[in-house]
Amino acid sequence: MNIRRRRKGIVGMILILVAAMALSGCAGGKSAADTAPGGGETDSGGGGQVTITHYTIDSPDRTFIEQLVPEFEKQHPNIKVKVEKAPYEQFDSKLQTLIAGGNSPDVTSHYGYGGFAEYYNKGMLLDLTDLMKEDGFDAATYSIPKELMEIYKVNEQTYGIPVNIYVTLMMYNKDMFDAAGLPYPPSDYEDKSWTFDKMVEYAKQMTVVSDDIAKTQYGVDFAWSERDMKPLYFGAEPYSKDTWTNGGVPSETYFDSPEVIAAYNKLFDLIFKEKVSPTSEWSKSVAGQNGDPFVAGKIGMTVGGSWILAGSNDFPFKVGVAAVPWGGNDKVRSNLFVDPLMILKDSKHPKEAFEWIKYLLTDEIQEKSIELSGGNPPVNTKAAEAYYKHFEGIEPEDVKKVIEGSTKYGFESYNHLVVHYSQINDMFINEMQPIETGHKTVEEVMPVIQKKVTEILNR
Amino acid sequence: MSTVRTAAERGRPSFETPGARKPDTVKIVSFLLLLATTFTMLLPLFFMVSTSLKSSREMLKFPPTFIPETWSFGNYLEIFDTLQFGTLYKNSLIVAAMSVLGTLISSALVAYGFARYRGRGNNIWFMLLLSTMMLPYPAIMVPQFILFSKLQWIDTFLPLIVPAFFGSAYNIFLLRQFFLTLPDDLFDAGRMDGCSELRIWYKIALPLSGPALATVAIFAFIYSWNDLLTPVLYLSSSEHFTLPIGMSSLTSSRFRIPPWHLLMVASVLAMVPIVTLFAVAQKQFVEGIVLTGIKS
Repeated sequence: MNIRRRRKGIVGMILILVAAMALSGCAGGKSAADTAPGGGETDSGGGGQVTITHYTIDSPDRTFIEQLVPEFEKQHPNIKVKVEKAPYEQFDSKLQTLIAGGNSPDVTSHYGYGGFAEYYNKGMLLDLTDLMKEDGFDAATYSIPKELMEIYKVNEQTYGIPVNIYVTLMMYNKDMFDAAGLPYPPSDYEDKSWTFDKMVEYAKQMTVVSDDIAKTQYGVDFAWSERDMKPLYFGAEPYSKDTWTNGGVPSETYFDSPEVIAAYNKLFDLIFKEKVSPTSEWSKSVAGQNGDPFVAGKIGMTVGGSWILAGSNDFPFKVGVAAVPWGGNDKVRSNLFVDPLMILKDSKHPKEAFEWIKYLLTDEIQEKSIELSGGNPPVNTKAAEAYYKHFEGIEPEDVKKVIEGSTKYGFESYNHLVVHYSQINDMFINEMQPIETGHKTVEEVMPVIQKKVTEILNR
Repeated sequence: MSTVRTAAERGRPSFETPGARKPDTVKIVSFLLLLATTFTMLLPLFFMVSTSLKSSREMLKFPPTFIPETWSFGNYLEIFDTLQFGTLYKNSLIVAAMSVLGTLISSALVAYGFARYRGRGNNIWFMLLLSTMMLPYPAIMVPQFILFSKLQWIDTFLPLIVPAFFGSAYNIFLLRQFFLTLPDDLFDAGRMDGCSELRIWYKIALPLSGPALATVAIFAFIYSWNDLLTPVLYLSSSEHFTLPIGMSSLTSSRFRIPPWHLLMVASVLAMVPIVTLFAVAQKQFVEGIVLTGIKS
C-alpha cells in the first residue's frame, strides 16, 4: 500500500514534468530542428536547398524585410531566408552568443551599440572582395555612389555594402519662424550666406526664456553628431588620419588640443553664453529621457539625424528641412550614417547570402523598402527620388538638395568607424555631464577625456 | 452618534482629555501623510493608464495632459494588431506558469532535503548551492546556449522552463529556512503512522508552508514574467516571442518616435496577472498562518 502510494507520487511527478516539456515544446507547432537560427542545414525538403539568416533589430523599420522574402525565394528556389530579430538593447549580446554558440547568422548590419570598426576588429566579418570579384559586382548597377562604397573598405578590401544612408540635416519649425517674422533657412549647400553665426542670430530672435516652462522656447538645438565628433564641424580633428584607413584604430588622438577645446567651447556657448539652446535638464524635463524637445514644438531649429523626418507627419506644427550651416570646415558639414550589409565570417553560405544582399539593393526593392519601412532612406540614388517625395508637407526639392548636399559634404559618423566605440561613447557621456550642467569647464575636462580615450584604445 | 461620543467623554476623568487628544492629532497627521504618499505613489500608475488612452498626437504634447482630451479606447484593440499581443500574452503565461510549477516542485523538494535530513557534507553542499547565486547570468550565458543548442532546444520554450525544474538557489534557501521552523513533532507523528517520506513532504510539509510557497510562486512568476534576456537569446521566431520581447520592440527603433501610448496599453495589460497573483496569494498568506497552529 505504502510502496504503491509512493510510486504513484513519483509517477505523477514525472507525468507533470513530461507534460510541461511537451506543452512548451509544441506550443508553436514547430520542432527545434527546422527553426534553428543560422543552422542552414535544412535540406530535408528540396535537394541542395540552404537557409540563410538575416539578423536584425525587432522594430517595424527593420523587420519589414520579412515581406521581401517570399519574392526572393520565388526567384531563388534553392535559398530560404529566415529573419532573426532582437530588441535594440540586446542586439549585440545575442549576436555574440549566437556566434559563440556556433549558430552565427549570415547577414547583418551594425544595428546595435557596436559599430563596423568593432565588428571588424573582433574578426567577425567576412572579406567580401573575392565574392564581389567572382560575381562581377558593380556598385553602379545598383546606383550606389562610389564614395559610399569606400566607407567600409579596410586596406582596399570591402567588408560591407551600403544599403541605407541617413545624414545630419537641419529641420525647422515653420510656425516659429513665421511668428518671429524670419525667412526660412536655405536647403542649398552652396548658399554661402548660411553660416553658423547667422543661425545663432536667427536663434536669438526665436528664443523665449520664461519662468513658465510651457512658454519657454529655444532657437536652436545643435546636436550634429555624437559627442566626440562635434569638433570636426568647426574643422578640428580629434583622431589621427590613419583611423579611417586601418580599420578604426587611431595611432593618436588630440582631444586636449586648443582647436578641439575651442570647438567644444563654441558649442557650449550656445547654451551658456548665447543662451539660445536648451540645457540637457530642460530637454529631458520637456521631452523625457530620450525624447526630442523639437518634437514637442519648443525648438526653432534642430540639427541632427535625418531619421527625424520619418516622424514628421505626426508633428503638431509645420516643418521644413535646411542645409547644415557652414561652420568653418569647407569639406565637412554633415554626418553620414551609412548602414552596410555585412556577411559574418562564420556564415556557412556566403554565396547565397550575397545573392540576398544584391536583391536588397536592386532599384525595385530599394524603392519598395521606403514605403514598407515607413521612410528608410535608400542608398540607391534612383530609388532615392521616391524617398524625397515621401514626406507630407515637406518640399521634395528641399529634401533632395539637403540629402545630396550632405552626401557631398558628409563624413561617415565616428561611431561606425572607431574601435571600442561603445566604451568611448559611454565615457564621453559621463565626463561631459559636468560641462552640460555648468559645473566644469571644457578646459578642465578635455585633458581627462584625452587620457581616458588613450586608455580605452590601448586595451 | 453624537450622543454616544458625549457620553464617552463625560465618563472620562477631565485630566485625561489633553492626553487623549494628542493621539488624535498624531493620527490625523499620519493619516494625511499616508494619503499624500499614496497619491504620489499612484500618480505614475494613473499617468500610465491616462497615457494608454491618448492618441499618438496628444502623446507628444507639452505640457502633457493629465486627462486625455479624446479617449482613444481603440488603443486597446490596436495593440492586438500591431503587436500580436494575444500570442505574446499566451506565450508569456505558458512560460511563467510552467516556471512557477517547476520552481515550486524542485525548490520545495531540495529545500525539504536540506532542512530535514542530516548527511555527510550537508553544509558544504548547501554552501555550494548558495554560491551559484553569485554567478551572474552573462557568465553562464554562452555555455548554456551551447548546451541548449546541442539539445536542439533553440526557438522552443524549453530553455526557459526546464531550468526551473532544477531548483533555484534563492528559493531553496528561502524554503529551507521555513521548513526548519516546522516542529519535528509533526513529522515524527507522520512517520509513526507509517507515512512515506515523500508523502510526509507533500501531505505535511507543503500544506503547512502556504505562505512560503506563495512567496516563492510570486518571485518565480515575476522573474519569468519580466525576464527579457533569456527569451531574446533562445527564441527566434515571432510566434514564440514573449511579452517583454514584444514590448521592447516598441522602443527598439533608433529612428522612430516610440508609440508610448501603445506601450502603456501593454504595460497596463501586463500588470493584470501580477496584480491577480498578489490578490490570490495574499489570501493564501492569511490561511497559511491560520493553519500552521500547533501547540507545544
